[in-house]
Parts: sequence; C-alpha cells; structure tokens
Amino acid sequence: MSDAMVTGLQVAALPLVRQPVIIGVALVYFAICAAIGVWAARRTRSARDFFVAGEGIGLWTLSLAAMAATLSGFAFIGGPGLVYSIGTAAVFLVLPASLTNTMGAWVLAKRMRLLGEARGLITVPDAIGARYRSPAAQGLSAVSILVAAVGYMATNILALGLVVDAIFGVGLSAGIWIGTAITLAYSVAGGIMAGVYTDVFQGAMMAVASTLVFVYALQAGGGMAATSRTLMAADPYFFGPWGTVGPITALSFFFVFGLGSLGQPHIAHKFYMLKDPQRLKWYPLLMTMALAIALLLYISVGLAMKGLVATGAMPALVRADDATPTFLLARVPVFIAALVFSGVAAAIMSTVNSFMSIGAAALTHDLPIAFGRRVDDELRWGRIWTVLLSLAAAAVALMSGTLVAFLGIFGYGLFASTLVPSLAIGLNWQGATREGAIASIGTGLVLTLVLETLGFMKRFSLPAGVTVSGLALVLSLLVFFGVSWLTRRRAAEQLDADIRLVMEV
Amino acid sequence: MTNLPVRAALVVFVTAVMAIGAAYGATLWLGAAPAFAPWALAYGSGAAMAAVFALGATRAGKLSATLVVAFVLVFVVVSGSFALALGLPAAEGAGGPMLLGLPRRTAIVLYGVGVLPMFLLPLLYAFTFDRGILTEADIARVRAARRARVAAGAGDTSAGTDA
Repeated sequence: MSDAMVTGLQVAALPLVRQPVIIGVALVYFAICAAIGVWAARRTRSARDFFVAGEGIGLWTLSLAAMAATLSGFAFIGGPGLVYSIGTAAVFLVLPASLTNTMGAWVLAKRMRLLGEARGLITVPDAIGARYRSPAAQGLSAVSILVAAVGYMATNILALGLVVDAIFGVGLSAGIWIGTAITLAYSVAGGIMAGVYTDVFQGAMMAVASTLVFVYALQAGGGMAATSRTLMAADPYFFGPWGTVGPITALSFFFVFGLGSLGQPHIAHKFYMLKDPQRLKWYPLLMTMALAIALLLYISVGLAMKGLVATGAMPALVRADDATPTFLLARVPVFIAALVFSGVAAAIMSTVNSFMSIGAAALTHDLPIAFGRRVDDELRWGRIWTVLLSLAAAAVALMSGTLVAFLGIFGYGLFASTLVPSLAIGLNWQGATREGAIASIGTGLVLTLVLETLGFMKRFSLPAGVTVSGLALVLSLLVFFGVSWLTRRRAAEQLDADIRLVMEV
Repeated sequence: MTNLPVRAALVVFVTAVMAIGAAYGATLWLGAAPAFAPWALAYGSGAAMAAVFALGATRAGKLSATLVVAFVLVFVVVSGSFALALGLPAAEGAGGPMLLGLPRRTAIVLYGVGVLPMFLLPLLYAFTFDRGILTEADIARVRAARRARVAAGAGDTSAGTDA
C-alpha cells in the first residue's frame, strides 16, 4: 500500500456521465459559486478580509467550511474506490474523525484563535513565528506549506478537470482550464471570504448528496446485515477488521490520519476567522457530525458495490475508482446522481480554494517576514500570487499525470511531519524550543521529499505497513523532543509574555 | 516550569511515539512486520491521542479529574477496541459471528473507535467549555495583553528575530 493510494489521487479519466439533468445541476452549482464570489468580492477590502475573512465568520460557517476543506474529491471518488479495493482498511483513513475534531479543538482551535486576538495573526506560519520568536521557523514552515499546497492544488485541479470532462464531455485540457477559471474567479475576487461562504454551500451540498446516496447504498445490499453476510461469504478478509491489507497497514493509517490531522494548515488557518472565540464551544460537535454525514458515501458505496459484484448483480469494475460513478448511474435517481457529481466538484473546489489561500499567504506574508521584509499591499499581492500559483498548478496538472501523482503523494504527510510537532505540540508545551521546531520542520521536509522521490524513482521501497508519512511523522516528533530537550535552557527566553498567556489559558 | 499534567502527557506521548517508531524500525529492519508491531501501533496510537488530548486540555498547569478520567477512557476505548480485534480469533467467513449488523471484530473497531467517541467527546468539550476551556475573563486578559503590547510599541503580528 503506497502513500499514493491514500492521498486522494485521481489521475485517470472518469466514466462519461453527460446527461441533461447532470449538466443542468452542474451549471446551477457553478452559477451559485460565481454569485457567492461576486458577493464576497464586494466585502473584501483588506488583506485581513482576503486571508482570514475579516475574522468575522460564525460557528456554522466555520464548521461547514472546515468540513468542506477537509474532504477533497477523494471522499467521493477515490475513497469509495479504495473501500472497494481493500475493504475495511480504507475506513481507517476516516475512522480518526470521531476523535480528531475534538482533539483539534482542545489542542489548536482555542490557541490559534487567541493568537489571532493577541497578535492579529493571519497565517499558520505566523503562529509558529510568534510562538518561537523565529522568522526562520516561520519561513521554513511556509516553504513546507508552499511545496505541499502546490502539489495538492495540482492534484485537485487535475481531478476537477476529470470531473468537468465527465459531466460536460469537453476534454481534459478544457476541463482543467474551466475548473481552474471558476475556482480562480471567486478565489481572486473574494479570497478566503468567498472561499468559506462557497464552502458552506458546497459542504451542505456534499452532506445532502452523501446522505441520500447512503440510503440507496443500504437498499442495494438489502440492509447492513445482509451486506455484511454477502461480503463475509465472498471474502473473509475484505470485511474483517483490517480489510485485505492487514493490521499494521490499517493501524498506520489510523496513526497518520489521526495525529496528522493536527498539522493540516488549511483547517488550522480557519480558526483565526471565527468572530467570537466562545462559539468554539459547539465546534467539535458540529464539525464531527457534518464530517460523519459527508463520509457516509465514502464508506457505503464501496461496500455496496463489492456486495453487488459478489452477488453477480453487477459486473466487476475495471478500475476501483469507477465505484461511485458506476453505482450512481446504475442505482440512484439521476437528480441525486447529479447532486453527487456536482458535490464532487464542490469538494475539490473547496479544497483548491483553501490551498490557494494558504499558498498565496505563504508567498505574500510569511516568506517576506522570514527575510525581514513586509509587503506593502498584501491584498494586491495576495491576489497576484493566487493567480500565479493557480496557473502554475494547472500547468503542472496539464503537463504530466505522473508528475501530478508525485506532487500529490506527499501533501498530507508533509503537513503532518512539519506542523504537528512545531505547531500542535509547540503551542501546548512551553518547553519546546525554536531549535527543536526548526530541526523537526527540516526533518519532516527533507525526509518526506527524499523518501517520496526515491520511492517515485523506484530506488527505494518500504515494507508493507510502513508509509513515508508515518515514518516522517515519528522521526520529526522525536527530533522535536530531542532537540528541545538538548536546548531546554533557552525555552523560557524564547517565549513572549502574551504568547505564554495564550498557552496557559 | 513544566507542570505535572503536561509532564505526564509528554512522557506518555513520547513513549507512545517511540513504540510506534520501534514497530516501524523493526519492520524496516526485518523486511516484514514482527508480531509485536500491530500491538505497538494499537496501544501507541490510542496512548498518543489520549496524551495529546490531555496536553491540550491542561489549563494553567491543571487538568480536572473529570478530564483525566475521560482521556484515560479514550485510551481504553481506542486501544482496547484495536487490541480486542487483534486478540479475538478471526472468524469473518460465511456464517461468522455478527454484532449490530457487522462482523464481530469489525463492529468492535468501527463502533468502539468510530462511533462512541464521535458523540461523547464533543459533548464533553461543550459541557466543560464555560468553566474549563475558555471564559470571558480569559479573552479579556488576552485583549489586555494585546493593548499593552501595542502601547509598548512592540507591534502587531508574528515574529521577532532569531538572534
């Protein structure tokens, strides 16, 4: 099991789903996104509006936007395909969601929001820079975010192109440019303000689509118990606790996607945006429920398709990623299928928008600070970098599916190994030091890039169950603790009084 | 000064990460996962998460008894579910034992790890929020600190120097 299989790569064409209802729903969906973009653009007057929505969003907006940004198209296409391929083990990617939102609220949400209150911070590297009084740590974390964000964007833009092509039949290149243009239009005009409000619409759409499909998936198998019996008879491992890949791989997924959730900057960044910090009270409940509902499709469609194939009701799939499109076209009313296909586009666009924002912020805000400079007009440069980053990602997506696959592989793991120690642990442990943070970010960055590159070039492979993401996360954490312990005498002097206060309340 | 709950959480967390690292290291060394590796991941993942919960919930060096119990239960439920699934005999073939519509061992993992904490932890967070997570007074203190910082000319935003 490679990292590539679990990071949402969608690099092969989807079945053509061009039907009048599906096209009509998609057009309405894109029009609503554009309208929200126009509305948000009128309210975006400063860099603070562009990057943190003017610190003015409510709880429901935060929860739905965080949910939509968490789930890429993988939740609707690649994920069900993975369930179809490896059974229960694929569920271990999303199983930690029962814990991670509450964990994130305790560990990150309050501290990030209060850092915004104390310092007016607008980016995740800002928080690292403030925590350790270190432009170097801020710059290094911005580099890792930029590398992973471009990879994620290229992967998701390619996936968006495939979805647009499947719906409209316009060809992949045109699909990529159409998808990029729509996302870019509202992202440039309204920044993250447009992003979070389209996320609310997109998140609601994903939740509705997922719930409806879940009902049809249950019906298709004759209920949960009947589906279980069918799957157990067909392959005892498939629906066993670890799927077809064994316990160490499944448990590695749980570890990486559980702890790694604390290092995802597109989620952590959203905590700055909440208007009233005390509304965080119900954030874990809302976010967990929203995520659980949106993930019903992920879990149910792959199982239902496997059951239908096992009973001979449907032919075996040529490619696992066809599980969702095939199921929708064969088993679900066309209007609901249309909602899901637009929901896939929604999931991808919300993720791309988030990465546009944090990538542009890294270039506009964090890297100049790392070099001791400030950009005069961050709003204008934020927009310029959003365009340039998106064009670069779209060009990469067009050039080579293999390159995109490579770039997309390491995003989640790179975020986890560079940000979990320095950000999530560092904001909760006063003994952490600047040296520990820099060493751990460097370790995560170098290890992930080197091992993934060697793996991509077939020079190196890890035994089953060990992923680069898991290994890099463990080693960066141990380096963080080891170096912080060695330099512990400097810990107190690196902590400003207001940051200490944020860490203590 | 590192306080007791933080120190305890860090010891548990580092131990858990080292256990997972040992599982990965042994697998790399041997070329295949040794028998202890899944157990190390099962206990290590649960312990690491419980420790991170405790680290985040510690407030001014203190962690309430309720939360200590809750986070110990997180470990027991998560790692216990995994350990049960590892320890129980595999019987997922046709006619195998079922629990609430799923194969028994699968049900233990999915309901234990996936469903139970999904409802309980967010409610625990909400019910302890006003007293133990973030109060109006906390926010007022942070805002006062910002005003003091700005008044002192220290400026806004993030980083000072690496000097």
